[in-house]
This record gives sequence, C-alpha cells and structure tokens, in this order.
Amino acid sequence: MNELAIKDLLYKLADDQLILGHRNSEWTGFGPILEEDIAFSSMAQDKIGHSLAFYTLLQELGEAEPDTVAFTRNANQFHNSQLVELPNGEYDFSLIRHFLYDNAEIIRFEMLSQSSYEPIAKVAIKLKGEVKYHVLHANTWIKNLGASTEEAILRLQSSLNEALPYALGMFEQSTYEQELIDAGIYAGEEAVKAEWLKRIQAVIEKTELKLPDLASIEPKFGGRYGKHTEHLQPLLDEMAEVFKIDPTAEW
Amino acid sequence: MSLTSLDPRVTRLNLPEGEVPAMEPKPVLDQFETYEAFHQKKEGAAYTYVGPVHAPNEDVAFLFAKEQYSRRFACTGLWIARTENIQLTVYGNDGENVYDALRFQEPIERSEQPEAYEIFHLKKRGKAHTHAGRVAATSYLEALQEAKQAFGDKGPIVNVWVVKSKDVLQSAEEDKDMWTTIPEKKYREAIAYKVMDKITKYKEENKPTTAQ
Repeated sequence: MNELAIKDLLYKLADDQLILGHRNSEWTGFGPILEEDIAFSSMAQDKIGHSLAFYTLLQELGEAEPDTVAFTRNANQFHNSQLVELPNGEYDFSLIRHFLYDNAEIIRFEMLSQSSYEPIAKVAIKLKGEVKYHVLHANTWIKNLGASTEEAILRLQSSLNEALPYALGMFEQSTYEQELIDAGIYAGEEAVKAEWLKRIQAVIEKTELKLPDLASIEPKFGGRYGKHTEHLQPLLDEMAEVFKIDPTAEW
Repeated sequence: MSLTSLDPRVTRLNLPEGEVPAMEPKPVLDQFETYEAFHQKKEGAAYTYVGPVHAPNEDVAFLFAKEQYSRRFACTGLWIARTENIQLTVYGNDGENVYDALRFQEPIERSEQPEAYEIFHLKKRGKAHTHAGRVAATSYLEALQEAKQAFGDKGPIVNVWVVKSKDVLQSAEEDKDMWTTIPEKKYREAIAYKVMDKITKYKEENKPTTAQ
C-alpha cells in the first residue's frame, strides 16, 4: 500500500479532530448549563485524545512527534475541513456543527474499524464507543431543540443553512481516493457522504427543521489540501501559545 | 472600552469594562427538574445510586449522567429515573431494618394489573442505595410489602427506594461499547501529571545562593 495515501488519510482524520476539539473546548466555562458545559468539554477532550491516537500512527510512519505536528505547523499545512475551524458562534451553531460532523465521523470509524490497514482498524475499534456517545449527544439535542420553541427552531435552521456548504466540504476527495478504496482502507468519501445523508435526514425528519436541497449547495472544498478560512491561523496561534514559549519543556 | 482578560475567550466577548449591569430578575423555579442516576460498575454487578442531574427530560438526563458519573470510573451501564417518580420510606438509624417499622395499610390507588417495580436498599447511612431486585405489585406500598418478603430480611436496611420499572430509562445492550474505558486516557486525570518531582528538582537546581 502506498504510504503517502495512508498518511494523507491519517492527517485529515487527526487534524479534523484536533481543530474541532480545540473549538469545542472554547465552550468550557461558557456552556449554557453546568451539566452541558461538562459534557461538551469532555467530548472536546475526547476529540483531542483521538487526534493524538492518529498523530501517533503518523509518527510510526516516520512523521514528526505529535506535539510538533500539532503545534508547529501553519494553517496552510493543515488538512482539516473548513467546517471544524469556523468560530463557535452561538450554541445553536456549535450544536449543528457537532451534529453534522459527528454523524460523519462515526461512519468513518465504523468503516475504518474494518480497514485492511490494521493499525488504523485497531485505533478505530478502540475509540468508536466514544464517538458513538458524541453522536447520541448531538442527535438528542437536535431532536429536542429542533422540535421545541420557535426561537430554537429558527436559530437551528439558520445555523444548519450556514454550516451545510462547509459540512459538504468534509467529503472532499483525496488525491489517493481510488487507491484507498481499492486497497480496502475504507469505502471512500462518496460512500461516507451517502450514508451520512441518510443518518442526518433520519434525525431532521423528527424535528421541525428542513434539510435544504444539497444539490443546490456548492461545497466548501480546499481544507484537505491547506486552503483555509481566515479563522484557522488565529486558532493555531492561540492553541500553540503556551507550547511556543518553550517548545522543549517537558510536561 | 471593552474588558480585556488573560483569557482570550473573555476578551472576545467585548464586555463593557467597569460596572457590570444588573441582571434581570430570574423567574421563580426556572431550574430543570432533577433525575437520579444509577450506575453499574462491572458486568453483573447491582446498579448503585451515583447522583442527580438537572435536565429537561430523561434522554438529556442520560447524556448528562453519562458524562458526569461514568467518565472517571469504570462503568458498564446506566439507569435514569425522575426524582419525582421515586418513593421512599422513612430513614432508620444505622443497624436498623426499616422494613420492621413499616405499617402496611390498604393502598389508596392500585393498578388493575400488577406491574414491575425496582427496589433499592440503603444499608448504612452515608452509603449509596443499591438495587436489591424487582417485584411485581399493583401499588408502591404493595411493592414494598413484596420487597420485604423477597429480600427484606438481609441485615440492616436504613432506607428503601421504590420506582416503577417503566419509569427507569436503562442503557441499551447494543450500546455496550459506549462504556469501554480507554486505558490510555490517563492524561485526562491530574494523577498522570507527576509534577512534584519536577518542582523539587527545579527548586534544588535554583536554590538561592547563600549571602556572602
């Protein structure tokens, strides 16, 4: 198997999780109620833990150590989708992003847990249970709020409309797409997207929300190969602020 | 001028510096209701009371309880019951069996068909209520009576909780993998950071030189 193809896949998985984990952690202490603050912060921590697992696989393939990879690259060296780097906005936007992202993430983990590449399969099997909880958390909130007050429904709908072009950007294909599929690493982005659509539709149908026609939406591609919004670099600067004071410090 | 903080997230809120405007008065009783959570520490073990959460409904209570009460300890399952749906006996003193003091009267309300009730015992004050078993009855009182016969004579029981099984949300069998504790998450806990050695070493290396 082409090692570059594997690295390409690992980088996008790890970077998505690191950046979303950081974004979600920005809610710590600011959550709408105490219990939700704790739950959201815990999931943020899970995401960063998951990124560490994938950066560790990259290190085994000869890449730099996880801290270096996470804290010293510039925005144009990141492979995350633009969806995860967008600012948190208000809680409705963060919830919608969480819903759109984790429903795709769980499909990747399900596919990867059967991957022909054993190191990925092992990590995916181990972490899948946590992602399953993230999906349960997201779906429960969307079902509850999406069928509650007029304000909640309006807010979620407008966040959904705003996030969808970026969410579709998650499924940007790899330059090694066919190779990854042929080698049985996973079924590829088109397959993830088709399944994702079914799952988010099933939840949205239980609410007052409407899923816009996806065919009429231009996906925000580019994130997988270093093209990012103006929001990523400030996030990276803030995330690495302490690390950069003394990169050799032992923690 | 807006408020600047060492926490960039606070700075970004653009809060006015100086006096904070008074908050609008809150409506009375604006809190969510409470739910009680019971966890199972390992496969086959009895469910034990672990604590309450505030939530708008039992599904959300489940989400919250999972994060508050299963994150740092091994857990293989979770039950949630609305506080309001739990009936309890009087509290006895340590060493007493509260069932002995119960006077059973004819219950005022009965269901037509017997239904299932879950019984939780508190064996000692300060400990947690633990699931003793399930009985079938047509009322909470009858459930207590049944419970007394079924498992009420096993040593001291200082308090009993009774809740209808249908009022208990139980974690699903197919979600078992949600409880898998990942061993390499020590970094999430303070104990993983062995800082005292480093602090001692730093202090020794940087001892102030004694005055000449």
